[in-house]
Amino acid sequence: MRMKKFINRPENIVPELLEGLALAFPDKVRLTGSNLIARAVPKSKDKVALVTLGGSGHEPGLSGFVGEGMLDASVAGEIFAAPGAPRVLEAIKLVHGDAGVLLVVLNHAGDVLSANITMDMAKREGLNVKMILTHEDISSGPKDQPEERRGLVGFLPVYKVAGAAAEQGRTLDQCLQIAQRMEQNMRTLAVAVSTATHPSTGQPIFELGDDEMEIGMGQHGEAGTGRMKLKTADETAEIMLEMLLADLEAKVGEELLVIVNGAGATTLMELLILFRRVSQVLKAKKIKLARAKVGEFITTQEQAGIQMMIARLDAELTGLWDAPCDTPYFVVR
Amino acid sequence: MTGTIGQHELSQMFRSAAARIRERHGELSVLDSVSGDGDHGTTMLRIVDQLDIAQSSSEPKTILHDAGWKILNVDGGASSSLLGTFFLGMTEAPECNSPLDCPALAATFEAGLAAVSKQTRARPGDKTMMDALVPAIESLRAAVHAGKSVVEAMQDAAGAARAGAESTSGLTARFGRAKFLGEKTRGHQDPGAASIALLFEGFSMALAESKETQ
Repeated sequence: MRMKKFINRPENIVPELLEGLALAFPDKVRLTGSNLIARAVPKSKDKVALVTLGGSGHEPGLSGFVGEGMLDASVAGEIFAAPGAPRVLEAIKLVHGDAGVLLVVLNHAGDVLSANITMDMAKREGLNVKMILTHEDISSGPKDQPEERRGLVGFLPVYKVAGAAAEQGRTLDQCLQIAQRMEQNMRTLAVAVSTATHPSTGQPIFELGDDEMEIGMGQHGEAGTGRMKLKTADETAEIMLEMLLADLEAKVGEELLVIVNGAGATTLMELLILFRRVSQVLKAKKIKLARAKVGEFITTQEQAGIQMMIARLDAELTGLWDAPCDTPYFVVR
Repeated sequence: MTGTIGQHELSQMFRSAAARIRERHGELSVLDSVSGDGDHGTTMLRIVDQLDIAQSSSEPKTILHDAGWKILNVDGGASSSLLGTFFLGMTEAPECNSPLDCPALAATFEAGLAAVSKQTRARPGDKTMMDALVPAIESLRAAVHAGKSVVEAMQDAAGAARAGAESTSGLTARFGRAKFLGEKTRGHQDPGAASIALLFEGFSMALAESKETQ
């Protein structure tokens, strides 16, 4: 089937979408330098700044979370491809104040490479930068090999709690520790039911039978672990939640944050039906659903499917999650 | 000629490598659609565009540095990060301050490989660009020991890169996005390794031609 997307020229997709974002939220973000998205009003220089990087085509991730209480700058790469190190370094220099910069990196080969090259350059230039890698996808690696696990929608709570800590004036090391604690206590699992078209090539990024779903499918169509016949919302929610709870070793009485993230084509109707079952199962297990988000935070074009994330909260992380933020696609007042 | 590689030859090598990728980029995207998102060919096109424009300087070191920095800026995921690192890394070799004879050529390319090896844990056998890059550079060193010219050395390197790329058909991916497909990647060449073979073939063809015209 011919690709049906509202684009102009494929090579202009990224600059045009970033321009659109800045024009839509002029009080929150601006487009600056080499296609960097930064806060419209920079935070004060005595606070830690947060920078992230990642490929485009996943909107509103990642640039949609630049703003007060979350990121200071985002470096968007080409469609599904990491941005190069020189632009990441440019973003770090743009927001680097007296307290240093926390670079949040989702564990994908290209992003990690760019980030590592950037960290080498930053060190050579005497910049104060610490890096946190998010890798919470339980399907892409066993528990004892966290470096194999990909970073999925878990970036959201990491931006949120580290961003809130930075706003409170905590040090770079403190912000890093908070980000690490959030990261170590979160788990995500994805499921795909239909493919997406690569907006530059017009080709499907993977093939999946009409009556199939695949648990563990990555953000770019990376194969997962379980291809099976399409199941109901309740069955799907149960299978995924059980795998997540087992991996996190969640216990009775613990408090969880749950995110049900739509991959692009899955309707809010479906997300809510899936979330309903998650909530019921947690209640039956006497695990407290302390906080929840249902919606689209990271997408893969018109891929249908979801990412389900659970994270163990403590009092401090809950407080930071609840702290105000004002970004294009995540607002807490 | 015993020959050296100076500004002119390096520019010719870059142009020829770019032409070689442009000729065959469709195949690279097809290979990538087996294991990735099918855009490796277009990414390589954007990368080799930088080889065309990075040629205005006077000495190998400046040309290599410009090329590396511009490639890092391409936003082409792992491909541009690693190839950019490769060319930037070459400038760490003191030998690249002046025209390259065969030992200097080997030392310069070895410095590039060392920089790449620092950024990726992938090694030959993992079904990545390293399966073509490592044997190509080893054959440059072997050519030095055999007392070969830069033309012959680069011919050997291109042959080794091609053989290395072809060997990846029999391998199972262990790195990058392709690793999630595991056994499904068998029977297809790794697109990154195929790109390296094309680049070295381009380098070699340029040197062979410049030899003929001398």
